[in-house]
Amino acid sequence: MSGTWISTRAWLMMLPLLVVMVAVIGWPLVDTVRLSFTDAKLVGTEGGFVGADNYVKMLTGSNFQRALITTSWFAVVSVAAEMVLGVLAALLLNQQFRGRTALRALMILPWALPTVVNATLWRLIYNPEYGALNAALTQLGLLDSYRSWLGEPGTALVALIVADCWKNFPLVALIALAALQAVPRDITAAALVDGAGSLNRFRFVIMPYLAGPLLVALVLRTIEAFKVFDIIWVMTRGGPANSTRTLSILVYQEAFSFQRAGSGASLALIVTLLVTILAVAYAALLRKAAGAS
Amino acid sequence: MSALEIRSIHKRYGEVETLKGIDIALDSGEFLVLLGSSGCGKSTLLNIIAGLAEPSGGDILIGERSVLGVHPKDRDIAMVFQSYALYPNMSVARNIGFGLEMRKVPPAEREKAVRETAKLLQIENLLERKPSQLSGGQRQRVAIGRALVRNPQVFLFDEPLSNLDAKLRMEMRTELKRLHQMLKTTIVYVTHDQIEAMTLATRIAVMRDGRIEQLGTPEEIYDRPETLYVAGFVGSPPMNILDAEVTGRGLKLDGCEEILPLPASFKSAAAGRPVKVGIRPEVLRLAADSPGPRLMARVEVVELTGPELVTTAIVGKQRIIASLPPRTALSMGSTHAFTFDEAALHLFDPGSGRSLRAA
Repeated sequence: MSGTWISTRAWLMMLPLLVVMVAVIGWPLVDTVRLSFTDAKLVGTEGGFVGADNYVKMLTGSNFQRALITTSWFAVVSVAAEMVLGVLAALLLNQQFRGRTALRALMILPWALPTVVNATLWRLIYNPEYGALNAALTQLGLLDSYRSWLGEPGTALVALIVADCWKNFPLVALIALAALQAVPRDITAAALVDGAGSLNRFRFVIMPYLAGPLLVALVLRTIEAFKVFDIIWVMTRGGPANSTRTLSILVYQEAFSFQRAGSGASLALIVTLLVTILAVAYAALLRKAAGAS
Repeated sequence: MSALEIRSIHKRYGEVETLKGIDIALDSGEFLVLLGSSGCGKSTLLNIIAGLAEPSGGDILIGERSVLGVHPKDRDIAMVFQSYALYPNMSVARNIGFGLEMRKVPPAEREKAVRETAKLLQIENLLERKPSQLSGGQRQRVAIGRALVRNPQVFLFDEPLSNLDAKLRMEMRTELKRLHQMLKTTIVYVTHDQIEAMTLATRIAVMRDGRIEQLGTPEEIYDRPETLYVAGFVGSPPMNILDAEVTGRGLKLDGCEEILPLPASFKSAAAGRPVKVGIRPEVLRLAADSPGPRLMARVEVVELTGPELVTTAIVGKQRIIASLPPRTALSMGSTHAFTFDEAALHLFDPGSGRSLRAA
């Protein structure tokens, strides 16, 4: 029974990793589930069993609903903008011109920056007293007086989305550029001879090569955007007037600012479930796309 | 009326000049093969005709109209690529009809044209398939179909058979010849395969280093090569090139006392000058008792290919190859007398490589 022997050895070799995974992923997850059914505080009381109270409270509360809308809005708009910008940048960088290599290297920079550095940078740009954006817009005559872009509920989320796009579109561009370079030269030449204009060439000839890789980028970016925390925490902390409070910020506030470990845990699990649903849906999409090609 | 005219085309990439003045005029219905080894500029010339590259100088006329600066789609050409370049996401039918679709031909008319083309190429049963479900030969047929369906003035083929295996390549070669005879289309065809060139072309342009070495019918290229390069490039096994000197008694081969007759068409070659003598392997035969010039050579290697016995022999210090009938009795290492028709000799100037044939 050599099969049994090999599989025993395989399990033995994986055991150390399994132990680590159970310790750092499995146990915290189980404990969070336990916590979510209690009214435990972050410090002090252990808390008692309260059934599904936390879930009901969170799901029916206006905070959660508003945060869900803010998160969805942030994710949809920033990811859509990143996809469009990324593909356009990739199409440009796929052309032959002087300085292309330098430009390709430069483009990766925003993505290579740590998020916190990027967020701090954009806070400077948006600064209501000496920010570059205010200076530029007033000097161009587009703005009468300096505004607090991150301080007004109407503009804060848009300002955040811009900062997030700037950081993340290079990833999409990079993936799209790699895909573009896999398009055989003969095929685009054939399309030229066949009389396809640039739009038709993109749609019928190039897009089929881009679709798969772009779907991967879409999955990665949407899940990331749905979990967004750091850029918002550094720039607005969810404010002003909770206008940029996404689900992750809400979880943090519930669990750590208000020290309600029980309801914070239930909220965290809800967010995890939502992201899991997204991931599964995308995985299905990817499988379908792979099957089609 | 010339269907295609190539007028002193030059192409420079920075310091490097890949085309150094190409002139060819092609009548309607001609099958021109651009023949040369890689890097000779033949594909660049084809791309310039197609409009996929711009020349640095010169002009291209298709149907008497200059097409410089004209978009490839408006040049009335179709092109078949070495890699087939089929659109992987489209069915065979859509691949063939894509050019018509882009030219806004109504669907009914388009479908009819696609069906007719598919019938011509015997790929009607494949119309619904994707390119990935086709064999190499079938893909090649689809690629040809895509060009045929538009019925353009000039067809351009860029080494279309070089991705096929030997057997399929021969089949497709015959198929192309059949199509050309049937449709009387004007074709420019790029290849490095001299057999393809000889069998398909009505005219061959042998290219080398961005220039046309010789332009002529396959017979002219084979029977009267104008340069050593052409002589060596066309023919398999290649033409034997021997060093010799013109003497009063004829051609004296270097390194031995063998004297070959000086053919009538080269009588003007001055005595005492060194020359290169060309003899095709297939004109050599064992002398036996037949009259004619003699060439004594020691047999070194024989290779039976099936239809012929490729015999390598030594004359003095020079090597010579003869294609003999398969059952020729030869003894290895011994000297045999070979003979040939003296009119089949070629003489070239060793310096310029040009033929010494009197015009």
